[in-house]
Amino acid sequence: MTTAVGTATPRRLSVDAKLRIAIGILSVIGIGIGTYLTYTHYAGLHVLCLSSGGCETVQHSRWSKLDGIPVATLGLVGYIAIFISVWIRGEIGRAIGFGLALIGFLFSMYLTYREAFTIHAYCQWCLGSAAVLTLLAILTTIRMLRTDPAAPVTPKKPVDRAERRRQMAARR
Amino acid sequence: MASRTKQKEEARARRLAEEQARAEKARRDRRIRTVVGVVAAAVIVVVALILINSGGNKGGIKTGTEATATAAAVDQLLAGIPQSGATLGNPNAPVTMTYFGDYECPVCQAFTLQGGFPQLVQNDVRQGKVKVVYKSYCTATCNGPNPSVFPTQQVAGLAAGKQNKFWQYTELFYRQQGQEDTGYVNDAYLTQLARQVTGLNLSTWQSDRGDASLTAQVSSDQTNAKNLGVSGTPTLIFQGPKGQAAPSAAVPSYAQLQQAIKQVS
Repeated sequence: MTTAVGTATPRRLSVDAKLRIAIGILSVIGIGIGTYLTYTHYAGLHVLCLSSGGCETVQHSRWSKLDGIPVATLGLVGYIAIFISVWIRGEIGRAIGFGLALIGFLFSMYLTYREAFTIHAYCQWCLGSAAVLTLLAILTTIRMLRTDPAAPVTPKKPVDRAERRRQMAARR
Repeated sequence: MASRTKQKEEARARRLAEEQARAEKARRDRRIRTVVGVVAAAVIVVVALILINSGGNKGGIKTGTEATATAAAVDQLLAGIPQSGATLGNPNAPVTMTYFGDYECPVCQAFTLQGGFPQLVQNDVRQGKVKVVYKSYCTATCNGPNPSVFPTQQVAGLAAGKQNKFWQYTELFYRQQGQEDTGYVNDAYLTQLARQVTGLNLSTWQSDRGDASLTAQVSSDQTNAKNLGVSGTPTLIFQGPKGQAAPSAAVPSYAQLQQAIKQVS
């Protein structure tokens, strides 16, 4: 019984730690993409692009901004927030990370739809960001749905046992 | 005695298991509530973001002083530059830029209004070094809700071209381009644009819209584009004494246009 408890808890924690590390790494990649696109936008530089002019087409389109703010900048803020959420312990941190990644994923799907069916051009940086957000959405969902390792069922047992002993003694 | 103790232990184990199951269920319920809440909040936020993103810069026909100011800006840009049909600039200019475009294409709008085009017109076209020939190629319109409006809208520009006002009409269209995929182009929209073109004879324009040769010109432009391998708009092809060049950027800057001009002249 003790052995079972001893092996189960560290295993769960280790998976959560791995998820947090993966989310952190993906957020850093996203921060890199967001920083580059924001910098090129405000510095008026050309975006390095594999396809002929696709990135510029997308960046010049009306969908590249949200009320005047470049979506790349909003993405950068989102990635930073997801990165910070990894360091917030407990349910709140996981919920924040999950919510932000979900918003980013859904909005990036909308932007990819615009690229494919409205702008008719693709920007590799945007597609890269969409891929990162997809992975982040998957990982934060797994992290959100996993059993909370901080509140395992088993450690309660010794407490319950002691209480029971006290209750039985009182009855006698 | 041993059996009683065993029974008690079993009962205690059962109670513990039940308590744990209840606690687990409560935790699961709480988790589900959190997940549902977060998903609902995320969906609301995304819908709001999409509405802001797609609703911004709606464009469309301007009225009143805004319309007057727009028409004045167009007149100022094109003043003194010769026009003939869909050609802007000196007919003997050494360099020709063929511009494959679609009036409903937002990227064409970006190029015409914010890319290198205004500077090209102000400098090279005005100085007679470059002439611009507009050709129709259906992209955004054909992906929209009403692809059949494409010849009608492009012919509306060409009909203005019969009065050497093609570029006024084209500029006004791009400056008042509506939101894509909304099917905003209709007869009223096209006529309102024509009304804004300074000096355009409206009744002549209306009758010229029925000119079959203009519809044929739109079809011929499309065939021409397909033969050249044009796949999107705007596509710009420069032709000059030294051959042909096409800027790779979809929304070329003035520097990129200059580079292409240098290559062919």
